[in-house]
Amino acid sequence: MSTTFLGFIQQVINGLTLGSIYALIAIGYTMVYGIIGMINFAHGEIYMIGSYVGVLVLTALTLLGLQSVPLMLLLTLVVSILVTSAYGWTVERLAYRPLRGSPRLAPLISAIGMSIFLQNYVMLGQGARDISMQPLIAGGWRFGAEGGFQVYLSYMQVLIAVVTVIFMALLTLYISRSRMGRACRACAEDREMANLLGIDTDRVISLTFVLGAALAAVAGVLVGLYYGKINPFIGFVAGIKAFTAAVLGGIGSIPGAMLGGIVLGLTESFASAYLSTQYKDVVAFGLLVLVLLFRPTGLLGKPDVEKV
Amino acid sequence: MKHVIRNRLLTALVGALALAIGGMAQAEDTIKIAIVGPITGPVAQYGEMQMNGAKMAVEQINAKGGVNGKKLEAVLMDDVCEPKQAVAVANKVVNEGIGFVVGHLCSGSTQPASKIYDEEGILMITPAATNPDITKQGYKQVFRTIGTDDQQGPVAGNFIADRIKPKQMAILHDKQQYGQGIASEVKRTVEGKGIKVVLFEGINKGQTDFSALITKMKKEGVDFVYYGGYHPELGLILRQAREQGFDARFMGPEGVGNKDITAIAGPASEGLLVTLPADFTQDPANAALVKAFKDKNLDPSGPFVMPGYAAVQIIADTIAKTGSTDPKAVAEAMHQSSYKTPIGTVAFKDSGDLKEFQFIVFTWHADATKTPVQ
Repeated sequence: MSTTFLGFIQQVINGLTLGSIYALIAIGYTMVYGIIGMINFAHGEIYMIGSYVGVLVLTALTLLGLQSVPLMLLLTLVVSILVTSAYGWTVERLAYRPLRGSPRLAPLISAIGMSIFLQNYVMLGQGARDISMQPLIAGGWRFGAEGGFQVYLSYMQVLIAVVTVIFMALLTLYISRSRMGRACRACAEDREMANLLGIDTDRVISLTFVLGAALAAVAGVLVGLYYGKINPFIGFVAGIKAFTAAVLGGIGSIPGAMLGGIVLGLTESFASAYLSTQYKDVVAFGLLVLVLLFRPTGLLGKPDVEKV
Repeated sequence: MKHVIRNRLLTALVGALALAIGGMAQAEDTIKIAIVGPITGPVAQYGEMQMNGAKMAVEQINAKGGVNGKKLEAVLMDDVCEPKQAVAVANKVVNEGIGFVVGHLCSGSTQPASKIYDEEGILMITPAATNPDITKQGYKQVFRTIGTDDQQGPVAGNFIADRIKPKQMAILHDKQQYGQGIASEVKRTVEGKGIKVVLFEGINKGQTDFSALITKMKKEGVDFVYYGGYHPELGLILRQAREQGFDARFMGPEGVGNKDITAIAGPASEGLLVTLPADFTQDPANAALVKAFKDKNLDPSGPFVMPGYAAVQIIADTIAKTGSTDPKAVAEAMHQSSYKTPIGTVAFKDSGDLKEFQFIVFTWHADATKTPVQ
């Protein structure tokens, strides 16, 4: 096989890995938007906290002398999801619930305030510097002729893809099958009507924040493991990228956020590969503009029906 | 109720004013030197080097009785290495009536700040910013106690062209004033010697995923990479390069020569080439100073520690000699004098640059130590 083709395969792998992370974070944006019609600007920070909790738990487990990598991974994911979900719930409780029914601008600003607060809170608690960590899972598979260009698929990349697929599947099942999931969908369609029919909408809103935070925690842990370097500022860029992915896929749509994340990851990867790294963001955001021009609701978004 | 609150606010305001005036009155007895650099943020390590050096100088000078009977007072300020923040900090220096600045650290934040200092007649010595443009603005009171990229770039470029002789070379930079500046300088030098640069690209500051870029370099058969920028990004590039099995050799300027690159890249940092100022801690004349640092559990070996020390010392020496704390008089005297400092004997050109400064190529090791390349 030619180098060009193998290089292309490698770029697809790179893009899918990056896209999986974007997709996990994007779901938090899209779910909150789907239900209360607002962007949760503190979501990037929630992801950053998930990453910090993950790294702290991993360090603690290593100090305790735990040897089994799968067990460490599982424990880290569980603890990070629990702690980060608590943060997500608290953000809703402090920054959104007291402002329910006020003009749209008020919760928007309180969320931005929350984001600044959380960033500084982590900076004070953990220091403003990079925290780095050596790889927990190293190694991978190589394909291609010895001596020539080899496609490399690391165990970590496979892990990211597998974990992402598992959590996406769980979320989809939960939303489509469970009682609370049904309530979620009802709220997304018409919150007022759902409320009249006896659904505790406040609880549903809390739940969307918690689910979004849980998936952001998964992304945070994976990023900590994959790149091995985190700092209190990672939430901002990741938040912007994931938000773009959510809008690209159609904000409010869960499959849209998944698709949007993957498309964004692949676009960045290809732009980097075949144009230039310095233009990768230009291409990614250019694509967003194009999609919005021709499909204002995003790739999988439903057109907004005027409620009368 | 409203009145009560208003009255209380007034009292508080008056109190605050009184305090501020009290603070000013007190300040008369000391000579304030603002030490500015990143105290927080991704490159705070370098700020710490510069500040440790400068603070040590202030302490030692004060221990000997200060300057003309007055103590030096170090005022630490944080610019996070961001141009916007640097301007805010520079204005704060002006408002507090401080006449001398040691800093800033990153070239991108030093340049906008230097304009403000020039307008306000403040004297600035940067112990770390290496971009040549900073001293090309015609400012009379801007100095540095470090070399420039047009000295450092050719050292790196000549080393690559004469010793490494790569077949397919790539040059990356972080699009910042410092990183892109030195990367262009290296490119000019190696191309002048007939080395083929197949890739010259910018990455984003704060970017974490470089896998696509690494795949591209691997596909092009790149065997040597020069990176202009700081360690957080290069650390990730090294780590991801090793993971993908891309085995080219890497080189960077002093902005990557930091223990944290090993913390990020781990074993992938072995063999990295770095141009750094000479290791001043090896100079026998500095033995007592090195011991003073070690007694306080500080590391004297970072590239900006001794230049930071030298900057404060030069300001103090000149004030002592001229008997004036007027920045203009001090700057004029600085152009005329030479100083014996931990970075060697120092004299300034008209531009404010050092007359002499040496960069050396080091090999970085996986245990975060470095050895000069013979």
